[in-house]
Amino acid sequence: MELTLKNVQKSFGQKEVLKGISFSAEGGKAFGLLGRNGAGKTTSIRIIMGVFPAGSGEVLIDGKPIDYNKIQIGYLPEERGLYPKKKIIDQLVYFAQLKGMDHKSAVKSVDYWLKRLSMSEYRNKRLDTLSKGNQQKIQLITALAHDPQIIILDEPFSGLDPVNSMILKDVVKEQIKKGKIVLFSSHQMNYIEEFCDKIAILNNGKIVLQGELYDIKRNYVRDKLIVRSENADKIVKELGDCCSMTDMGEIKIQLTSEKEKQNMMKILTEKYDIDEIKVFEPSLNDIFVEYAKSQM
Amino acid sequence: MKQFSTILKYELKNYFQKKMFIGITLFLVLLIAVLMFSPQFFQMLSIDDTESNEGKPVMLVIADTSKNADIIQKSFAEAFTNYDVHISEKNLDKIKNQITSDKAECAFVLNSLTSYDYYVNNLSLYDTNTQIADEALQNIYRMDEMKKNGIPMESVQKIFDTGIEHNTTSLGKNQEQNFFYTYIMIFSLYIVIILYGQMVATNVATEKSSRAMELLITSAKPVSMMFGKIIASCLAGLIQLVAVFGSAFLFYNVNKTYWKGNQIIESIFNMPLELLIYMIIFFILGFFVYAFLYGAIGSTVSKLEDINTSVMPLTFLFIFAFFVVIYSMSNGSVDNALMTICSYVPFTSPMAMFTRIAMSTVPIYEIVISIVILIVSVIGIGVISAKIYRVGVLLYGTAPKISSLLKTIKKA
Repeated sequence: MELTLKNVQKSFGQKEVLKGISFSAEGGKAFGLLGRNGAGKTTSIRIIMGVFPAGSGEVLIDGKPIDYNKIQIGYLPEERGLYPKKKIIDQLVYFAQLKGMDHKSAVKSVDYWLKRLSMSEYRNKRLDTLSKGNQQKIQLITALAHDPQIIILDEPFSGLDPVNSMILKDVVKEQIKKGKIVLFSSHQMNYIEEFCDKIAILNNGKIVLQGELYDIKRNYVRDKLIVRSENADKIVKELGDCCSMTDMGEIKIQLTSEKEKQNMMKILTEKYDIDEIKVFEPSLNDIFVEYAKSQM
Repeated sequence: MKQFSTILKYELKNYFQKKMFIGITLFLVLLIAVLMFSPQFFQMLSIDDTESNEGKPVMLVIADTSKNADIIQKSFAEAFTNYDVHISEKNLDKIKNQITSDKAECAFVLNSLTSYDYYVNNLSLYDTNTQIADEALQNIYRMDEMKKNGIPMESVQKIFDTGIEHNTTSLGKNQEQNFFYTYIMIFSLYIVIILYGQMVATNVATEKSSRAMELLITSAKPVSMMFGKIIASCLAGLIQLVAVFGSAFLFYNVNKTYWKGNQIIESIFNMPLELLIYMIIFFILGFFVYAFLYGAIGSTVSKLEDINTSVMPLTFLFIFAFFVVIYSMSNGSVDNALMTICSYVPFTSPMAMFTRIAMSTVPIYEIVISIVILIVSVIGIGVISAKIYRVGVLLYGTAPKISSLLKTIKKA
């Protein structure tokens, strides 16, 4: 299964929030939708879910317009919230029923997930008696209980302790393995790097970068060197402006072009006492900051 | 459709699980039970309470100057059946003393048949003793004067005893009879619509402020959400009304014999059936007009504390309608120009037209026109409210201005 957004545009009043975005996410893989606050992530998600229609463009499943009667979507919104004064089992079953399940299978599924997330003891408690992290786990069940084909998780890890993060990671991996389309939206790049095969960076209503994470990293211009050396001060002093120090105490050397790589390495190893020298490979965080910042 | 019924069931269940809902309904039923059983209860208590002067307050009459002392005492005793009437000697200090020390409640000191002083400890707002005394004395004076002028006692008696016979036939409706039940029905209509309307607004705003809306809006169609909520509250309101009125009807029938002769209670329960049907029609339509608007307003509010100010204009409109109706009712002129206009305006017609039907004779075509206008308005308001709702539930931050809201609705 493949979810495709084709040239989707959306305006609210005078403000054009999405300026024609296109991307596609496949089943069995996680897709990371990244962007700063206000970049248009939530609007894109809402269009995918059919909360409001796109101004122009299409949302397609396997090339055909999405049919919400056939395709189920599970959603964990960034702004968490359920009914604080209601019994947990009641509201979870209610949300599962709203997604089309009958009462009996809704109860069965909710009970399964409560057990899976070790929350069974809270089944008959009111939501507001739970800690924030546990409330979040309850909310996660609303996204999974009806066994949707597409799962959209907006900042799923915020507010979770390491143990709960582990549980959630396992759940997400399991869902990906089942062949579902998992759409991630997060600012925590380490999680995106861990899960997502493909990403799209959204900035100011446009996609500024997208593709396989591996390719993006490979294709990143390899014109920086990282050097670890005892005489770092000397190197910086002699090479001048193109050098900068990293937090780790390494020297980052900006080359004028990629081709100069070999040459510079040769010079460095001949001239100075070098412990380690490598081509700089950016983390997703670095890539994100570069793309999201520069385009604003 | 399935979604709608899921929402309806869930919302309805919410009402029935609320302790307030159950508590208030039970309290009202209990109150009605106490009221309806009260005559039976009091009768049981006062079986041997034969008429005696014991316990009655004492009234002093001082008439030593008049030769008609006997007649005066007799007619005062007849006129003031609630008092134990005593003729007393003229000693003002003693009389005042008796009154202030609660030995007597009041005193009439007669200067002549046409002039007296009235003494009472605390003058009540409802004290009509002087009016009764005026009438009694006037009669004695007239009799006295007639006798003086040579008219024989028998003739005098006859003249005074002649009463006027009259028959009233109401060709339309009798306002004496229908005032009370109309009042009760209008009042219940008012209370239920305003309470449940505000509850709908608060419910929507709560979903928004707790951010449950984020999930709801992606799980269900806004229109199903809104209609589910409103129809659930309409049903809850109706069920409450039926419980209260039904129990009143039941308890009345159990105690029917004890209420014989009480015109107000009898008139209430002899209400024509067709009026009950009109009541249900106007209740449901009126409820929808207001509940839709309350729901729409609730959806534009993002913080619960803003809800009261936002619904205020709507609440005022409704209170205005209520006062127009109550004012016209107590004036006895339910067909005045304002009421006639109000009975076609959808915001006021549920109460105004209903009152006119109940208390006067309205041609059937006027009723039909009013109901048709109301139905069309309910549909129109429903569609507009659903649009506001759809836009409103996703808006957070400051409440939108009406003008900008209208623009967004137009586009939606």
